[in-house]
Amino acid sequence: MEVKTKTEGSKLTIAVSGRVDTVTAPELEAALKFGDATSVVIDLGNVPYMSSAGLRLLLSSHKTMLGKGGELQIANVQPSVKEVLAITGFSDIFNLA
Amino acid sequence: MTFATVKFRSFLPAATFAMAAEFLMGLSDSVICGQILGETGLAAVNLMQGVFEIVTFVGMMATVGTSVLFATELGALHVRRARGYFTLGGLSSIVLGLMIAAVLALVRTPVIAAFGASPEVSAMTSSYWLYYLPAAAMQPVAFFLGTMCYTDGDAKLSFVSYIVQLGGNCLLSVPLTMAYGAAGCAIGTGLGAFLAIVVLLFHFRRKGCMLGFSRHFAAPDLLRMARTSFGDASKNMGKSILMFALNAYVIAQFGSQMLPVLAVVVMTIGISEVFDGVANAAQPLASVYIGERNTFLTKRVMRVALVTAIVEGCGVMLLLLAFPDLMLLLAGVSDAATVSEARIAVRLVSVALTGLALVLLFNSYYVFIKREVLSTVLTLAAVLVAPLALFPIGGSIWGARGVWLALGLAPGIAIGLFALCLLAYGGRSRFPFLLPVGREDALRVFDLELEPVAICATSAAVAEHLAENGVDARRASKAALLVEEALMVVRDRNAGRLIRAEVTIDLGDGLTLFIRDDGEIFDITDADARVSSLRSYLVSNLMTAIPSRRNLTTTGFNRNVFKL
Repeated sequence: MEVKTKTEGSKLTIAVSGRVDTVTAPELEAALKFGDATSVVIDLGNVPYMSSAGLRLLLSSHKTMLGKGGELQIANVQPSVKEVLAITGFSDIFNLA
Repeated sequence: MTFATVKFRSFLPAATFAMAAEFLMGLSDSVICGQILGETGLAAVNLMQGVFEIVTFVGMMATVGTSVLFATELGALHVRRARGYFTLGGLSSIVLGLMIAAVLALVRTPVIAAFGASPEVSAMTSSYWLYYLPAAAMQPVAFFLGTMCYTDGDAKLSFVSYIVQLGGNCLLSVPLTMAYGAAGCAIGTGLGAFLAIVVLLFHFRRKGCMLGFSRHFAAPDLLRMARTSFGDASKNMGKSILMFALNAYVIAQFGSQMLPVLAVVVMTIGISEVFDGVANAAQPLASVYIGERNTFLTKRVMRVALVTAIVEGCGVMLLLLAFPDLMLLLAGVSDAATVSEARIAVRLVSVALTGLALVLLFNSYYVFIKREVLSTVLTLAAVLVAPLALFPIGGSIWGARGVWLALGLAPGIAIGLFALCLLAYGGRSRFPFLLPVGREDALRVFDLELEPVAICATSAAVAEHLAENGVDARRASKAALLVEEALMVVRDRNAGRLIRAEVTIDLGDGLTLFIRDDGEIFDITDADARVSSLRSYLVSNLMTAIPSRRNLTTTGFNRNVFKL
């Protein structure tokens, strides 16, 4: 798994590629530092697979951003990951783009 | 080590011990009578060997088919059908037990007279036979319950029941034999069987017990059970005929004084019963794999069993070649002439043990794959036809020692000829398991220890394999997700324990995923299970999203099947 971050003013984009599973999730967790960003986009365009370990990170990021009055957007979700979000009912919680 | 190997090895000690206990049970009366009543007692009980084999044959007729069909139906997730077989088998064991006791009561006097043994030996056999009748009625029931309990995964209780039966038999038979002679010994045997039945009934109170009664059976099922049983039980029928023939031949050719040596020979050959533990250890796995039409795993578990049978057979043979006096001590033989002849006899017949180990394994295996005729042919060839054809020839050339040598060589010759016929019939590619060729192309098996890295690697490998085989990304991802989440839940539930698992992908008919583990027994497919984490929440929701899912509850291992 690979994580790339890009900051443009108060907007932070985190592009993830590869599988997000129990083993790789801690790596992603370490990268999910939002600092002063008020708008965060997590780009899952290159994530073909995500397990509950990844979902937990998305939920916790969502909660963090809500807490600081910011916005979290999850972008380019692949159909297989979208299905996981649908199965769990989380697609209604997240702002999917 | 693979899941199948680990599970086979975990089943092996209990299965081997159960068979050793069964061997010792069969042996115990000979030993007790030999030690307490002397060589006449030993010879008297040896004349009963044919009867013991018939009683075992009857017990097996009610049991083997039930056990195999019960496991296969459970393997195919047909619980009511499985219980129907159990009900039918239970009733059969009771009816057949009563019937064999009645028949034995009727034929007692003429059969003993036909042996033509000395009056002293005949009188003792007659007394033993009469008081053995209640045991003959109960033993098929005890054998049935013990085997079914084991098949249902409760190896521990099955093991305890053998201990109780053997211990009860010995503890009661010794004082009873001292007080009442051979009759007392037979009474002790009956009491041991009764105690075993009482112990085995406790299995029905256990969590996860799948044995139960159902009216879900029909008359053809009885025929199917009998056909399935006969392959395995035929060895006892063959041995019974051989025992009657051997006893009559030895008495006619060499006199009653050779009977103690024959008793030692029979004991030595009887050790081969212990090797049946190998097939019994393979059965819980092999039956399920066969039910799933998983030729790859069937071969895997049977190859492990094959090696185990050879090692056991050769090991015991070498032990007896080096220390034949072990058998003599057990039999309580002390007369110098008998000791000298028996020592040679033990060495000669010990050669039979490796061949018999293989015969017993394939006898059971061919029953598992529903090749009952093949099983019967192999068994009867090795335990009846070859010895029956060879021992009179050996006897006429080299006297008694020729008989022992013929008994030692017969199984090897029979299995060699059988293997040649099998090669000609099935070809090299199907030898010796006779499984369909080509089925393995649809199967892929992953073995792992439940550690996060291994679980995630397996999940990724599942996704990759499915993609390579043209399965759409959505289903491939769902399968991979199921593998990771289910196995992580299993790992979490068994914290601190090293759990093994086996994941099979079957693309033969759509996409079917089999997940097995040897952790705590629980039903992961239960969509209403308690949710205690995000992972268990996801698993619970996944279960709702996969309508075609089944859990096989067994006390041996967890097995979950998902049709995606």
